[in-house]
Amino acid sequence: MALFGSLFCRLILGLVIAFLFMPILIVLTVSFSSSAVFAFPPPGFSLRWYASLGNADSMLQAVWLSTQIAALSTAISLVLGTLCAIAITRGMIPGAKAVATFMASPLMLPGLVLGIAFLQAARDFGLRDTYTTLLIAHVVITMPFIMRTVLASLSLFDFAMVDAARMLGRSYPAALWTVLVPNILPGFVSGGLFAFIASFDNYPVSIFLVDVRTKTLPIQLLNQVEMSPDPTVAAISALLILGTIVALIVCDRLVGLKRMASI
Amino acid sequence: MSQHATATPPATETHQEPSYLAVSNVTKRFGAATVLDTLSLSVGRAEFVSLLGPSGCGKTTLLRLIAGLLAPDQGAIEVGGRDLTRVAAHKRNIGVVFQNYALFPHLTVAENIAYGLRAKGVPKAEQARKVENALGLVRMEAFADRAVTALSGGQQQRIAVARAVVVEPSLLLLDEPFSALDRKLRETMQIELRHILRNLGITSIFVTHDQDEALVMSDRIAVMNEGRIEHLGTPSEVYARPKSLYTMEFVGQSSRITGVVKGSSESLVEIDTPFGMIRAPGHFLTGSKVVVGVRPEAIAAGEGPAGEYNTVRGTVAEVIYFGSRTLLHFQTAQEGDRLHVELNRLPDTVEPGSAMTLRWRVDDSRVFPAPTEAAR
Repeated sequence: MALFGSLFCRLILGLVIAFLFMPILIVLTVSFSSSAVFAFPPPGFSLRWYASLGNADSMLQAVWLSTQIAALSTAISLVLGTLCAIAITRGMIPGAKAVATFMASPLMLPGLVLGIAFLQAARDFGLRDTYTTLLIAHVVITMPFIMRTVLASLSLFDFAMVDAARMLGRSYPAALWTVLVPNILPGFVSGGLFAFIASFDNYPVSIFLVDVRTKTLPIQLLNQVEMSPDPTVAAISALLILGTIVALIVCDRLVGLKRMASI
Repeated sequence: MSQHATATPPATETHQEPSYLAVSNVTKRFGAATVLDTLSLSVGRAEFVSLLGPSGCGKTTLLRLIAGLLAPDQGAIEVGGRDLTRVAAHKRNIGVVFQNYALFPHLTVAENIAYGLRAKGVPKAEQARKVENALGLVRMEAFADRAVTALSGGQQQRIAVARAVVVEPSLLLLDEPFSALDRKLRETMQIELRHILRNLGITSIFVTHDQDEALVMSDRIAVMNEGRIEHLGTPSEVYARPKSLYTMEFVGQSSRITGVVKGSSESLVEIDTPFGMIRAPGHFLTGSKVVVGVRPEAIAAGEGPAGEYNTVRGTVAEVIYFGSRTLLHFQTAQEGDRLHVELNRLPDTVEPGSAMTLRWRVDDSRVFPAPTEAAR
């Protein structure tokens, strides 16, 4: 009986893993397909969809825009979020807990609601520039990820170290930079990674803020699928998967995935 | 009754040199709470002064004010003639050994010690030499390349001391540095640290709530209570001639007998207590309610010559055996009173309920005004 139970558990585990990996495997396979339509299994092997990426200007523009927005919003959130997290952890502000919850709240709101709210707000403030609007919205989207990991890291950080650094001749900002930052680096990296991904593949908020010339990658991809559903999108997806793997390896080398996962 | 601490020590004390660290009339409030109340303290060069008091007495706040990690609401802080009141912490050149050492876990032992030298822009070669000297000072040469997280508590403390003194600070502040160590190690480290600091000739302020630590280590002790200094004096002054009941009770064991002054002659007062008439040096008006304090080891068994000694009879309530000595608690008639006697050798027949005659020198009695009900 015990043997059966153990076998059953392993079987379920195997099925769940297969279930999770199947879509990725299918996308990877289709990206090497010789067929001009999404067909699985593919009739033959070719690299034509990767080659065609070179001509897909609007797609490449979208990749570039999404990368910029994701990188900039993550960077801004890292700086602002860390400073906010310090104020919250050190009890420098009244209602620190409420502020912490508020900063993390975009994660709990449906993206559609946020998107409509940003659209309305941008209009009311007379903000016409799509790029700036997107960037501001994405700072709000990425903030919760940074707040969560940085707050967790700071709760384990002994602020006497910052005092010690100051007494040894470093100004407060320099003390934060040389002592706090290296010690909560795993929190930065894992928070930053999640934030980047959350921004990079955000659809529901961005859809309200883009215009014809400024489209983020998820929106461009969906357009493409609607208009000409050829395996170019699969090739793009395959490259994104590759990019994610590279990012994870880099993070692992930098701080170790175990340390990141523990935050 | 607690009098304000005075900036200059009383004439009976030997520290008359111009003060090196001068804290004058410093007040610090947190919201409605006054944590330090017009406090003054002066410390001579190369002196080791302890701030001793229970938690919440303001000792750590005073330390952080001197360090510059907090700013006073009023008053001034001077070190070596330089007014530091408005100087930023990182420009004060004051070393601090923190309670949990606050070593930097992302740096090695040597890098931790070099941190302050780097911050000050000391050339690389000189850094290496100074780090090596500092490691030698605390006998940790073999640990230069270790991770600080791999060190024991005692070793971490040595590194924290080395890191603080390597930059040659004008003043060293120590915030309960022994509280994380077990008792045995604590005693060894106390003596060793005292030795190191004395050799360096560095002026040190040491915060502790542990009276034994303060007595062992200090040149002078500032006993603190509710944001004020109750008594500033050498360990033996503070222990043997406490200026206030608070100091008497906070530092060491003591007996406490409440009574009423019946008469006085020259410099002696006669006090009517449940144990009979007790005489003590002091000046009080007849009729004042007072408390007599005596150290337990000042009391001996048996009668003494009437002129020099107070003699009382008491009934043993409890016998507490420590091996080298025995503590006897006697029955008392009034609430809050206690009569504790420490004897090295115990008469064979003593047990709870035995009656004993006790004596102590009139000179060993201290008299303080009885605290008002509100103050207790």
